[in-house]
Amino acid sequence: MGKKNLSHQKKFETRIDFTPMVDMNMLLITFFMLCTTMLKSQTLKIALPSNSNEAKQEKNQNQAAESQAFTIILDGKEEEKDGNYSSTAANSKFYYYEGKLDPAQAATQLVEAKGIGVKGTKDTNFLTAILQKKNAKALKEIGELKKQWETNKFSNDDAQNDAIYQQKATEVLAKFNAAHETPIVMIKPTSRASYADVIAVLDQMQINSIGTFQIETLSKDDSTALAAKGIQLPPVQSAKK
Amino acid sequence: MGKVKVKKKDPRIDMTAMSDVTVLLLTFFMLTSTFLQEEPVKVITPASVSEDMVPEQKLITVLVSQNEHDGHGQVYMEIVGASKKDDADSAFTTENVKKQVLQIMAQKHNIQFTAQNYADFAKLNAFGHPIADLKKWLDLPVNERAEALKESPGIPIAMTNYGGELTEFQEWIRACAEVFSQREDATEDIRSGKAIAIKADANTPYRMVEIVMNNLQSIKRNKFTLMTSLKTAKD
Repeated sequence: MGKKNLSHQKKFETRIDFTPMVDMNMLLITFFMLCTTMLKSQTLKIALPSNSNEAKQEKNQNQAAESQAFTIILDGKEEEKDGNYSSTAANSKFYYYEGKLDPAQAATQLVEAKGIGVKGTKDTNFLTAILQKKNAKALKEIGELKKQWETNKFSNDDAQNDAIYQQKATEVLAKFNAAHETPIVMIKPTSRASYADVIAVLDQMQINSIGTFQIETLSKDDSTALAAKGIQLPPVQSAKK
Repeated sequence: MGKVKVKKKDPRIDMTAMSDVTVLLLTFFMLTSTFLQEEPVKVITPASVSEDMVPEQKLITVLVSQNEHDGHGQVYMEIVGASKKDDADSAFTTENVKKQVLQIMAQKHNIQFTAQNYADFAKLNAFGHPIADLKKWLDLPVNERAEALKESPGIPIAMTNYGGELTEFQEWIRACAEVFSQREDATEDIRSGKAIAIKADANTPYRMVEIVMNNLQSIKRNKFTLMTSLKTAKD
């Protein structure tokens, strides 16, 4: 009896149970998935004029004011005046005027519009429609360049293709700017505008290939024109508490 | 005789294949991941069509929070040097850059930091205290620092007058530029504005960001970048 038992050695199971291993791996995967940032942020380049030579800037501004100037005054979302700002620029109000603001005719010159970066019909996407119309000549040429760029006409090397396209587009814009045929956009955010509004407008500049634009503060004329339209801006409050 | 033998099925499933897949996924995530840096304020950047990526190295990030302190948002800064991975220059690592920046600031304000302070400062991600309170913050136990940073008034940026005394924020930027000027490529990045990025939440009132821009403008840093996220088709 005893001998028989000895010969009957217990056979070891050769397979290893992987279930705990899988459990642990899943846990780790979840951890890494939650902790990683796959999406990298993008950046928007911006160049402000130097404020040391204000006199020179003033002169430039006046030159631009004559025929090419297009001013956008950014107001925030109307319904949320009490410090709640909307994160989308879709409902934000803005005003615009062309050329130089004439204080006497401010009420008619200043046009009200809504929705900065909305896609869709022309009514809702006011800003794009206007800018496209104003910049039509330059946009047409850039559109042609873009077609060539898409089919790698400039170069078979992608990077080089991009570079040549960028250079040509800049040349086109410079050409039309010299001929005073592109708008020079002045962006004037009020104290109610949110950061997203400003970014949305800057975005529109890029979409519509506006070569020259500036961020500025509201001038006295602008404020009086707004007041004439019955728009009262909240005073810039210092220290909420 | 005619009895059909039912084959006994093993109820256990073979997990080997499953484990193979999970290990593969795990490796992928481990290799591609860059950890989310803890930031003192939660920021959702607005979307734009711009496709320029944020540089991973040699970058000064200015974080503007929505919480008002003295009429402006809290301002935090993050400084990143050259990454070790593809840069052999060990003198220009994030740690070294931050140490040197702090040294310049300490000298200017006559504050003595301990070696431990320097080491802590180099390792910490964001900072945002007035320089006078910085030492107190660095002396705090590790687990209390994040909370204290949230409560901080931020780096002072209120300008008294143009061309007058520099604000502390401007001094920090100057100090960074000074350290960055040790290297040619970093100098170029600062000059072209690639190395300075403003990060603010979409809901931040623009005037808060404006103060930061004015600060940069008056020390002749006219070029910089704004951080945005990529626009999705939905927007």
